[in-house]
Amino acid sequence: MSLTLPRLLLAAAALGAPFAPPAAAAPNIRIGLHAPLTGFAAADGKSALQGAELAVAQVNAAGGVNGRKLELVVEDDQARADQAVPLANKFLGSGLKVVISGSYSAPTRAAATVFQKARIPYISAYALHPDITRAGNYVFRTSFTGEVQGKAAAKFIGTILAKKKVTLITLNNDFGQSLAAGFRSVAGQFGLQIVNEYSYAIGDRQFGSIVASVKRDDPAVLYISGYFFTGGPLVTQLRGGGVTAPIVGTEGFDTYEFIAIAKDAAEGVMITTSLDRDSTSPPARRFIDEYESRYRTPANMVAASTHTAVTVAAEALRRAGTDDPAKVRSAIAAMRDFDVSTGRIAFNELGEIRKAAQIQIIRGAAFHHYATIDDPVLLAPPTR
Amino acid sequence: MYYVELLLVGLVWGCTYALIALGVTLVYGLLRILHVAHATVFTLGAYVGVLTANHFGSLAAAFVAAALVAGALGPAIYRLVYQPILDRPPYVALIASIGVVVAMEDGFRLVFGPYGESFSRGTALTATYAVGGMIVSLVQVCIVVTALVLLAAFSLFATRTRAGVAWRATVSDPAMAASFGVGVRGVRYLCFLIASALAGIAGVLVGLLNGLIEPGMGSVISYKCLAIIVLGGLGNVAGTLVASLMLGVVESYGTVFLDNVLDRDAIAFLFVIVVLLVRPQGLLGQRR
Repeated sequence: MSLTLPRLLLAAAALGAPFAPPAAAAPNIRIGLHAPLTGFAAADGKSALQGAELAVAQVNAAGGVNGRKLELVVEDDQARADQAVPLANKFLGSGLKVVISGSYSAPTRAAATVFQKARIPYISAYALHPDITRAGNYVFRTSFTGEVQGKAAAKFIGTILAKKKVTLITLNNDFGQSLAAGFRSVAGQFGLQIVNEYSYAIGDRQFGSIVASVKRDDPAVLYISGYFFTGGPLVTQLRGGGVTAPIVGTEGFDTYEFIAIAKDAAEGVMITTSLDRDSTSPPARRFIDEYESRYRTPANMVAASTHTAVTVAAEALRRAGTDDPAKVRSAIAAMRDFDVSTGRIAFNELGEIRKAAQIQIIRGAAFHHYATIDDPVLLAPPTR
Repeated sequence: MYYVELLLVGLVWGCTYALIALGVTLVYGLLRILHVAHATVFTLGAYVGVLTANHFGSLAAAFVAAALVAGALGPAIYRLVYQPILDRPPYVALIASIGVVVAMEDGFRLVFGPYGESFSRGTALTATYAVGGMIVSLVQVCIVVTALVLLAAFSLFATRTRAGVAWRATVSDPAMAASFGVGVRGVRYLCFLIASALAGIAGVLVGLLNGLIEPGMGSVISYKCLAIIVLGGLGNVAGTLVASLMLGVVESYGTVFLDNVLDRDAIAFLFVIVVLLVRPQGLLGQRR
């Protein structure tokens, strides 16, 4: 047998064969996630990460996507805009084809323009600022904008609670201001009279002067924006100071940490949110139950919204049959009536979702269904 | 009555500032170091207090434990962080101090979790009293009383005891004090011990007032304390007290009447800027 070149190559291939990867194990599909894992918003970052990990685990347990497993690539943005752009470029450099924001508006707005420019699908899980999806057609959002949620609160207070005199206590950032703007824009439509409006900074935990002012205003209901770490102390101090008017909060209070801080003062507080704890829809029930058994802690809005965003990305990858960014983008944009942990969603031309708003009430130290605001005209997301 | 209530709210805030800023001003007076890391001593005191109170059901135990643990951390920061770099320019110590704040804040997050802690129902000073149309909580009363008693005790200590005289001598001239037999090292440890124990007690009180103890609760207070000690006239104890109370009252009115324009912290710093334009040496500082 003479050693011709083809035979040599064959022999080399045969020797090399045991070291080559088996054909069955296709490389994982990697999904990027950035969330505030350290810094002031670390609590929400932890929830976002857990929601995303659960979504990936559920998809992989069901066989993955297109015969490949999903893998989460996680970066910490500290909820800071200046961290967002370097980490977005890092994601792009490592060849990721789809990225999720499990973070606040400031870093998400900054990163959105980077991903749009690179034409990589980018889904904001719960950041509410309207400019995020305006970055372009590769940017999507799986929660309400602040304005839409504020409008839902106004309709709830005006029609279901049937109260008229409202005092607003607004968190002075993107989140709080967009909620208040939406609320004010339709307050007249539901006969609401805004008695007074106070604002506070995200670092503030002492609300004595606002409590004294609310007592003087004597409103029939309070509409309060904020996060659990501002809302918990605020609600505690309002009740401690003798304010008895009903309190309507926002999805920032949608976590059991809020109840852990405010305790008895949390009883009866109502919130507008995306997650219905008493939902009977299978994806919602499965999310709520598996989250609780996996992490030994009850699910919250941030976890549910991030779970939704990752689920949407996985479904788009499956429908596209490839991880080609342009095809994945088209698959997300084409989603209609897709059932996820936060309800039944559909995307509009701006990449915003249409869905109903949930009103939950805290009773017996737990969130329960109180009402659903399903008004496609009022809750229509922005289209441009 | 509404305006009186706002005044009371402001005085309560001012008393919490005073308890914390006193430590910063004492350290500045003694070592010319801007002790920003005092905020982490305050936060640790709050955590020790809430965990003790929730575990043993006793607020008294919480205050004692907070004062002890915080009282140990302050001298430890002095020994491990400041003492090795005392011969360097003051900004070196300031940078080290900021480093301690950053490291400790995420340290608290790792040890105690990101969500924060609050007092259980049974242990909190939640009782309230209706006084002439106002509702005053026991916590507010406790903050004012504690601040006044502790600051009065400190002033007695500084003026009427041997250790206090030694401390004041060291502040004005360490070399001269040492030559008269004052143990300068001992005075410095004592200063950090007293300042830190007060900060620990303040941590528990602020935790009760806020209803939440969290890893970053010291960060706003730390830079506000710097503003207060500048406002009071650097190193001036009486000036610090006056500046703390004034700042609390300005913030109380400002958060209601200026909140559309400026937030609470911005109001505080605007106030400081305005005062310093008029009195560059601080409220009670002496013109040099």
